[in-house]
Amino acid sequence: MKYSFIVPRTKRIIGSDMRLALFFFGVNIAMMSAAYLFLEYKTTIFKEKHALYATDIKQLDTSTRMLEEKIVTIEAEIKKHEQISTDNTVMAESIHNIFDLAPDSITLMRAELEEKSLILYGISPNKDTYNFMLEAPLKSIFHRTYTSFYPIENGWYHFVSTNYLDDENSTEVVE
Amino acid sequence: MNFRLNYRTFYVILLSLLLMVSIIAFSTFALIPKGKEYRSLRLENKKEQAVIDTAHEDHDLTEEKLKKLEEKNKDTIKAYRTVFNPEKFMRLNRTQLQDLFLTEIHLTDQNKSFKVYEVNATTKITSPEVFYQFLEKVNHSGWIIGVHFPVHFERDKDLIRLSFTMKVHHVSEGKEEK
Repeated sequence: MKYSFIVPRTKRIIGSDMRLALFFFGVNIAMMSAAYLFLEYKTTIFKEKHALYATDIKQLDTSTRMLEEKIVTIEAEIKKHEQISTDNTVMAESIHNIFDLAPDSITLMRAELEEKSLILYGISPNKDTYNFMLEAPLKSIFHRTYTSFYPIENGWYHFVSTNYLDDENSTEVVE
Repeated sequence: MNFRLNYRTFYVILLSLLLMVSIIAFSTFALIPKGKEYRSLRLENKKEQAVIDTAHEDHDLTEEKLKKLEEKNKDTIKAYRTVFNPEKFMRLNRTQLQDLFLTEIHLTDQNKSFKVYEVNATTKITSPEVFYQFLEKVNHSGWIIGVHFPVHFERDKDLIRLSFTMKVHHVSEGKEEK
């Protein structure tokens, strides 16, 4: 026998209002936790990067400095090589010019070339030939020129011509 | 107006209040400070990235400059690092310089960057022209050689006896590593 006209609804521990509230807060908490975890993850990565940056910058600076030092060394080497090549060429030209000074009538037996001096040993048919044809140009090049003559059996002369270049600085001081 | 608070509604309101307070507390004490830290670290990171990019750029430019310099002057660089070999030098110049004889005088350190081998050379040549050619040739040899005074020429029958000093500049590997 029925005492009611309606069918009784099933009773739940959590009602529909409570479920709605729980769903709303659940979604909210989940989103906030996700945001927090994301920030935590990114912060950790930034901190790790920060530690690496310091090392990287130090390494890069050291490497750049080493490369710059190498460039300076190579540039110094190139400069030195150019200087050596020029010196060799200048030396060849200087010796060439000195030997060109000697006329065909004068025979050179020995030449001693130093940085600031030249000693020539040779044979000349007479003193005048030497004086006009070799000593004059030598005097125009060197600051001091001394010559000694030794007569030989055939009437010619052995000569020793010693020529010096004075130090330019000391000349300037004297002047 | 009769307002009766249902106990279920009361629980919902109570739970909602509790959760709301928890969310506000979490935001205030955890999420917002973390966000601030993240922003400051991101800004710092951006600045550091700019610094490291500049350092990378400088490093790359310097490296490129060095490569170009090495490429352009590879023969000179190689010549500095080639150990002087008197036998090879004599063999290479035998055609021009007869009876070439080398004596190593001593080893000097010049400006602490180069090692300099000083070598005395005596030889016989047919004419001074040969010596001029030798001086030109020595500039393109596999070593960095400078010919120095004193240079002595002496007539010896049909030949000229020649003696001169050579300085061979060499960069040792040990110095380069430093």
